[in-house]
Amino acid sequence: MNPDDVRYHKEHTWVKVSGKKGTIGITDYAQDALGDIVYIDLPEPDTTVDANSEISEIESTKATSSVISPVSGKILKVNDELAESPEVINEDPYGKGWIAVIELENTSETDDLMDAAEYEKYVEEEAK
Amino acid sequence: MRLAVIGSGPGGYVAALKAAQMGAQVTVIEDSEVGGTCLNWGCIPTKTLIASTELLSRVRDLDKFGIDLSGSVLPNMAKIIERKNRVVDIQVKGIRALFKSWGIALKEGRASLSSPREVEVQLKSGGTETIQTDSVILATGSRPAIIPTCRFDGKNIISSNEAINLTEIPRSLVIVGAGVIGCEFACIFRELGTEVTMVEMADRAVSTEDHEVSELLEHEFKKKKIRLLTGAGVDRVEVMDDGVHTFLSDGKEFVAEKVLVSVGRAFNSEGIGLESAGVKKGSRGEITVNTKMETSVPGIYAIGDVTGGMLLAHVASSQGLVAVQNIMGAGEVMDYSVVPSAIFTSPEIASVGLRERQAEEKGLKIKTGHFQFRGLGKAHVMGEITGFIKIIAEEATDRVLGGHIVGPHASDLIHEIVVAMKNGLAVRDIAGAIHAHPTLSEGIREAAEDLHGQAIHTLRK
Repeated sequence: MNPDDVRYHKEHTWVKVSGKKGTIGITDYAQDALGDIVYIDLPEPDTTVDANSEISEIESTKATSSVISPVSGKILKVNDELAESPEVINEDPYGKGWIAVIELENTSETDDLMDAAEYEKYVEEEAK
Repeated sequence: MRLAVIGSGPGGYVAALKAAQMGAQVTVIEDSEVGGTCLNWGCIPTKTLIASTELLSRVRDLDKFGIDLSGSVLPNMAKIIERKNRVVDIQVKGIRALFKSWGIALKEGRASLSSPREVEVQLKSGGTETIQTDSVILATGSRPAIIPTCRFDGKNIISSNEAINLTEIPRSLVIVGAGVIGCEFACIFRELGTEVTMVEMADRAVSTEDHEVSELLEHEFKKKKIRLLTGAGVDRVEVMDDGVHTFLSDGKEFVAEKVLVSVGRAFNSEGIGLESAGVKKGSRGEITVNTKMETSVPGIYAIGDVTGGMLLAHVASSQGLVAVQNIMGAGEVMDYSVVPSAIFTSPEIASVGLRERQAEEKGLKIKTGHFQFRGLGKAHVMGEITGFIKIIAEEATDRVLGGHIVGPHASDLIHEIVVAMKNGLAVRDIAGAIHAHPTLSEGIREAAEDLHGQAIHTLRK
């Protein structure tokens, strides 16, 4: 379910690192908890974001929630397709539902994040 | 009792009718259109335009409701304006008919006090007429305020007066001022396809509302792609070959087909003979009145926008009723403690009483209750889940101090909180009343329950 090639943040976001670049999105657990996503406030390319701070806001039929960036860096590009079809996040949170690509400021930041097994355990704990 | 009412907006015409119903001999003088700003350039025209743009928005969502539409849906501005004019006309005719039925004389022309008991009218039909009277009600209203940096030319740099009559949809529009009027027009024109940029001096849109209301509206503007710049001053506006340029103090520049300036209202207190009668004005040009709506001159009353308080049609009408009661000898004072107001943006906004920060500034100990419309079955049924209801109460007594609603039918829903406040009810009184299901009003009960930490439809924290 949760892919092994990404790192997970406790605020239910993920980052997939490739060289100096990291693609980020929200986890399957997050999209399921949110329910049908109706709008995403996409970040602006060329702006910078800090790890653990809000990078975007997602509105679903249930709630409006902050998306917390798992890493720091400059936003290289955003998934414009989500502006028209935010439901793609529900359908494919780790694939077509990616939110942004970030130029990582510090690749070692991902060491603090969880792997799939740790994240699944974390979600189970949280659900209790 | 002879009464002369100058101005026939929602203040003047209501006062005239009440006085006539109480037996006064009433003359109304109007130099423009019967019904004033509210009917001809304000409330009614804008809401009629919004009725069209809201329908347009709904039709664009038809597929979500399982309805297939073949063919395109396009706004026809000329017809939209035509419908607006028809609606206005019906209302104006209605007031004229009421005047006639109550024996109120309507003089069309420009009135000026020549003494406290004498009104001179420059008739539109030519000539002058002098009216002897025992009392006067000044209800001359307000007009769009002009700022030196953006002077109206009526064509490219316009006020709300022209905006309601644009028969062609502008490709782009800069709106100076993100208050009530600016935000309503932003929603109207955005729905029609105009690229809208708003420039506001304050740090948020609709800055007189509760801060959470501004936050939500700004979020919705973002979704609609209405660009909003806050904390931004306008240096100058210039008409050039490629459009109207708006230069901001921070160096930014925007080019648009038109610029709509909505930065407030100026009071119509000039040229009506206040000096001859000895009626005093305040520093902003407003006519000063006491709680009985009487000016500095006994027998001369003033109501509505020109008195510079809450510039709301329903306040003007209430003031008119109070003024008439006093003229007729009943003795009544104006009570502003519970005045609702509505903003017809999309989503709609309505509020009454204290804003949360106001309560804090006053040092009051308060509790707030919230409810999101998206938690309501009826909101999903209607396909309108955006928005919330917020109730503010005094912690010690549970008494309702304020209510703020953003969302579907906010302007209708607010009145449950209005009645509660007017009667000093507590939040537990609202929570304890059965609300019909499935309705939007259930949200008010949920917000009331939430204030006590007892909302049913909420996830465990």
